[in-house]
Amino acid sequence: MRFALSSGRTVPQGSFIEHKLSKGYQRATSMIYIHPLDLMELGLESGDRVHVTSDFGSVVLTTETTEDIQTGCVYIALGPYANAITGGYTHATGMPDYKDITVEIEPTDDPVPTVWDLMEIVGGLRYGH
Amino acid sequence: MDIKDVPCPFCGCLCDDISVRLEDNRITGVENCCTLGNAKFLSKGRLQHPIMRRDGKWVEVTYEEAIDETARILSDAMRPLLYGWSGTIGEAQVVGVHLAEEIGALIDSTTSVCHNPSILAIQEVGHPGCTLGQVKNRADLVVYWGCNPIEAHPRHMSRYTTYADGYFIDNTATDRKVIVVDIRRSEGAKIADEFIQVKPGGDYLVLSALRAIVRGRGDVIPDSVAGVKKVQLQRVADLMMKAKFGAVFFGLGVTMSRGKYKNVRNAIELVSELNRKTKFTISAMRGHFNVYGFNEVLTWMAGYPFAVDFSRGIAFYNPGETTVIDLLERKEPDACLVVASDPGAHFPKSTIEHMAAIPTVQIDPCVNATTALCQVQIPVAITGIEAAGTAYRMDGVPIRMKKVLETEFPTDQEILERIVTRIREMRSHG
Repeated sequence: MRFALSSGRTVPQGSFIEHKLSKGYQRATSMIYIHPLDLMELGLESGDRVHVTSDFGSVVLTTETTEDIQTGCVYIALGPYANAITGGYTHATGMPDYKDITVEIEPTDDPVPTVWDLMEIVGGLRYGH
Repeated sequence: MDIKDVPCPFCGCLCDDISVRLEDNRITGVENCCTLGNAKFLSKGRLQHPIMRRDGKWVEVTYEEAIDETARILSDAMRPLLYGWSGTIGEAQVVGVHLAEEIGALIDSTTSVCHNPSILAIQEVGHPGCTLGQVKNRADLVVYWGCNPIEAHPRHMSRYTTYADGYFIDNTATDRKVIVVDIRRSEGAKIADEFIQVKPGGDYLVLSALRAIVRGRGDVIPDSVAGVKKVQLQRVADLMMKAKFGAVFFGLGVTMSRGKYKNVRNAIELVSELNRKTKFTISAMRGHFNVYGFNEVLTWMAGYPFAVDFSRGIAFYNPGETTVIDLLERKEPDACLVVASDPGAHFPKSTIEHMAAIPTVQIDPCVNATTALCQVQIPVAITGIEAAGTAYRMDGVPIRMKKVLETEFPTDQEILERIVTRIREMRSHG
């Protein structure tokens, strides 16, 4: 199914901002908020995982239902998960399209990657204490 | 021991009424702070030593070694990028701008990926703004457009708008109306007198419709605009025109959506229309506690507020070309210094791929997503808790950040000064 995805701030995301490698930050930024009717159409329940794919990448996220969002729209906290599917084109303004990204969403059993996993996919090296 | 009136080093509200309780040089309690600031004051866990990559592994190194390696990387670079700056004080930002000029670097801040379009719009049509004190004491109508203060600036409403007592407002609960415009029914929307739920990408249309109604041309508006009914638009325009003093605050829902700076320009022009009938102001909800400060510092020193390229030997500013995302997308930088921000977590994937492919150095107290992209990380004191200095609130008011804890970690400013000194030594020795 096709959706319009926007990213933005949430309190849990902000609370874990000094601990980006923590499970709390991972949970806060890998949650995709979706209307219950859309989730029903996908044949899923809140908490099930989905593959979210845009023209720029793909990532596994965990669903959370909310009626605060319109059908056809999904929302995610800003962070490395949102950026895994955000493009770098700025329309010559310097600002990428962090809002209203067209995404395809389908059910999956794949695990949600960690922040370190996402950084290693782009060529980084995790730091272990 | 309690220290009163400590400014909070989290968001652009820079709340300066925080009380911090100290025991044995540790913070054991925080009062007046929101959840976000509280988490920062009470945060535990940080990088204890400078680290560097050797043979594909992280190793601990001395500050001397880390500074030497950083100076070598920046000296050797043809197209260095200096990025971040919003989580540190003006005094450190000044050293950063000097460094950029000295090595012919491109310097940009997190502004580039938050309110850069707001600045572009202000450069086009001006900024009818005011301080938050004016809003608190005078505004009988507050509009939050494309922002969610309850989650991003949790004390904005209690200190300056909805729940704040105002000198010229008899009863803030009844005399101050709130309008929220957003694509989702946010927590802020739930307490608004009017909530306009606009379809994603529809802000420009809704702003234009309101401008037409305020101009007296409601007849040209169709029954529905970007998912918003005409009757609601008329109701909202009436509320705005009847206000004695209206204040619009806008956020990234406007700057990051389709239209970008044209959305902000349209919002400013709506405010101009309203000023023909009453008093209205408009202001950006700035994110990092000192993101505004970097715009001030760079403007004093280079004439432009962000995205300045010194590679020509002069300050060159051309957003869309000299902005950090465009630069990385073109894979131009051959070295990068990140200070007081975390692009690893906040930049699109294609841009951080390039950061991982070039020598990148980070100056930051904590291990974060950018750590994985770096060759070197240098831990520093936490600004606003372990280091004092100047920060600018979202409305441009400078506030002195306090040092409440003693630390052995050097400050951002000290590390940057040592890097500049080392680069000069290397260059004088050829």
